[in-house]
Formats: sequence, C-alpha cells, structure tokens
Amino acid sequence: MLLYNENHNRKEVLWLLTINNLVKHRGKQEILSGVSFKARPGRVTGFLGPNGAGKSSTLRILLGLDRATSGSALINGVPFAELQNPLATVGAALDGFGAHRMRTGRAHLRWIARAAGLSRSRVEEVLEIVDLTKVAGKRVGNYSLGMGRRLGMAAALLGDPKILVLDEPVNGLDPEGIRWIRTFLRERAASGKTVLLSSHLMGELAETVDDVVIINHGKVVAEGTLEEVIGNHATLEEAFFALTSEHAGDAV
Amino acid sequence: MRAFNAELSKLFSLPGMWLAFLIGAFAPAAIAALDSIAEKEEIIAGVSIRLSEVGYIGLGLGVQGIIILGVLAVSSEYLTESSESGGGNQITTSLTVVSSRFHFLLAKAGAVTVTSALLSIVAILATVSATNLILGEYAPAFEASRLIGVVCYWTFTALLAFGITVLTKNGMIPLTVLIINSSVVTVSYLLTKVTKLAFYLPDRAGTDMLMSGGFHTPFTGGLIMFAWVAVLFIIADIVFDRRDVAS
Repeated sequence: MLLYNENHNRKEVLWLLTINNLVKHRGKQEILSGVSFKARPGRVTGFLGPNGAGKSSTLRILLGLDRATSGSALINGVPFAELQNPLATVGAALDGFGAHRMRTGRAHLRWIARAAGLSRSRVEEVLEIVDLTKVAGKRVGNYSLGMGRRLGMAAALLGDPKILVLDEPVNGLDPEGIRWIRTFLRERAASGKTVLLSSHLMGELAETVDDVVIINHGKVVAEGTLEEVIGNHATLEEAFFALTSEHAGDAV
Repeated sequence: MRAFNAELSKLFSLPGMWLAFLIGAFAPAAIAALDSIAEKEEIIAGVSIRLSEVGYIGLGLGVQGIIILGVLAVSSEYLTESSESGGGNQITTSLTVVSSRFHFLLAKAGAVTVTSALLSIVAILATVSATNLILGEYAPAFEASRLIGVVCYWTFTALLAFGITVLTKNGMIPLTVLIINSSVVTVSYLLTKVTKLAFYLPDRAGTDMLMSGGFHTPFTGGLIMFAWVAVLFIIADIVFDRRDVAS
C-alpha cells in the first residue's frame, strides 16, 4: 500500500506498517487473536501491554522471524521476506543485544554493514551516534545492559532506515539513556520516519509517543492518538490499567 | 554476494574459529610427522606396508578442525545471551539483515565451503612438507587426484556438520558425535562389519576419496558423500524456512 503525502509538492512514498488480523498459535496456546493496527510515518507509535500480552510476538512476525498462523504484517505493503534491502527499510532492535558475546561491538556492526553493502565509516558513524566508540573494541560479553541495548540501536540505525521497530527500547537504560532515546525517536519522527516501539513502561512512553496501541491477552483493546486513548483518564498509565484490567476481568 | 561477505566476516571474527583453523591446518601435519617418524625405518628398508597411507592418515583425522568450523558457523547464531542481557541471540539480527532465509543459509554454506577448502589446502601443504622433511627422498609421492579427494572430503565434512547443526541449533550434540566418530570410535566402520550398506554412509564413502583400495572408486565415493550433503542441505533449508526463530 503506497500513500502519497499531500502536504508535499513532490510525491513522496510513505512508510507504513500494517498489521492485519494477526493470529498466532503456539502449541495449544493462542498468543495473538486477531491483532490489527497501523504505524504511520512521521509519528512515534507506542505498542503497549503487560508482559506476555503479545507485543514481542507481533513484532517478530512483522520482522519475518516468526510465522503467523493467519493474518498479515506488511511493511509498505509487502511482507518482510520480500524486502529488497531490509536494512535500509527497517531497522530493528529486539530483546537482548542480538550479538555474539565473543565478538567485539565493532566486529558485530561490521558484518552487518557488509551484509547491507555499507562502508566501514558508516559503522564508526553509528558507534558515535550511540556513544559506544570508546568500547567498540571490547567483546560484547563484557558490555553492561545499557551498552548492549545501545549496540542493538546502532545495528538498527546502520542502514539509516525509513522505519524503526524497537522492542522495549528503554529497558535497562539509565535516566540519561532514556532521555537520549526519547529525543532521538522524536527527531526521527519529525523527519518523516516511522517509529514503532513496544513497552510495558507507561510513564516513560507518555512523553515520547504520538499514537498508542494497547494490547492485552493477544487482543488490541485501544488504538488512537495519545489524547484519544487517555480520554477521560488523568494519565496514560491510568487509562492503561483501566483498559487492561477490564479485559482481565472479562477473561475470568 | 553481500550476505556471503557478511558470513565470511562472521567466521573470521569469532575467536572459536581460530581454534578450528589451528587444528585444521596443523594437526594433520603433526600426525603425519609422528607417523613418518614411526614408519621411517621400515620405509627406508622397503618393508613398510603403509607407505601409501603416510600423510593421508593425518589428513583423514585432521577433519576435527573442519567439524568445529561447520558446527560453530551455525551454533554461534543460536548461542543465547545471558539472562540479564535479555536472553537474545544473534540469529534475530542475522535474519533482520538478510530477508530471505534461503539466501542466508546459502551464503553461510558458501562461506563454510570456501573456508574449509582453503584450510584443507593449507593442511595439505603443511602435511606434504612435514613428510618430505622427515622421510626425504623416501617420502611417498602425493597424487594430485587423492589430494583433490582430501579437499572434497574436508569440505563435505564441514557441510555435513553445518547441516546437522542447522537441525539441532545446539552445537554440543553434533560436535560430540562427529568428533568421536572421526577419531575414537568410527561407528560407520564398525557397521561395515555388519552390513555392506554401511559403505554408503557419508564418512565411509568419503574416505574412499583419499584412501587407496576402498570399497568404492574415489569418484563414486565422492559422489555418494556429495549426495548426502545435498540431501541434508535441502532438509535443513526446509526445516529452517518453516521454523519460528523464537521457538
């Protein structure tokens, strides 16, 4: 699905994520039961839910790592497996560091750069962006949680992608790191790029996101702009607990 | 091609690989040297019945290094990070960088093939030099066809180790089974005492490429081993393509 931005004179392709009626079974368990939502360019979309609600499963299906039982997850109208140059389209940082512990941070980024046909100087650039230059020669196994998360971000940014997909990006970051990522993601969105991030931390997210999707027990229970989802509640956190506990009540 | 470059880069930046290179490149020469020293007097006296095997024994046993290479190329992708770092693994990164799983597997197999072929050539050079150094003019002539057999045997062995590890995801099982089979107890060899069919097992058929007087001709032996490699790769690709990375 290609959309054209009417605000621009020249026709510009927009970068949209479309999740459509995703169902995922693992064994007898239904992890996702018909998840649908969109993440739009120029906006930061927060994908919220308690642990085990299906956030990571949804993102993994979007990135072609897991297969959906039914439904689709499309990046600009095509599934991940059909992307020509994935690194320049979607940058992803999922759980953990995504790196072998015996390799140095720099060596990790270098093989990724090779896979995407990027230069070694680009590796140094992203190391600078995430402030890892000083420890780039150390083995990943010696990294702290915060450093490992930043290495994951560096890998996601290598191809300067139009879309960023981040699973729990503020996990393990110190307050300074959280502040950095918040500013960084706001800037990405301001330059017209698409950002989708998942989190179970409401307080951290309210100041970062434009749109909110709340998932609970494998179902989307609310979707809209931040204001719409907060509605009559005082904060996003309250809205979240009201929405998720209602559903928990239904399930019993 | 890019994915292939990336896989080569991965292989060479992993410290465990250097152990594989070290064993692969120099263990055969060391074994051949010891064997030559032991056999030297009989060879000079012209009564050795093992002259034609000198050197090849080492090259046959030296596949341990190549087995480590094939296994590690895959198992390193699945090595789980510590739980405090979130318990991720490299395979998620690899598959978000290369969108086609088939291309990913092909690139990895290609990198393993090229590296093991090069490694076997280094091992051959070291082994031939070692035997010549010790036996001098009595050193056996190494035939080109059998040396090509060594390159094929090593490469196919690496690819078998690679394919099995794709199926198991964990390196311990294939590493243990394959290393024991190629050094301490050769299961397929014992089986040949029971049934002739065992000569069609990949390692038995493969050794016919480098040892004279085998059950198969060197060419047929190579063909049989290659068939095993091809079938295993197809199975590995089908399983890998359908598998959830998370599971």
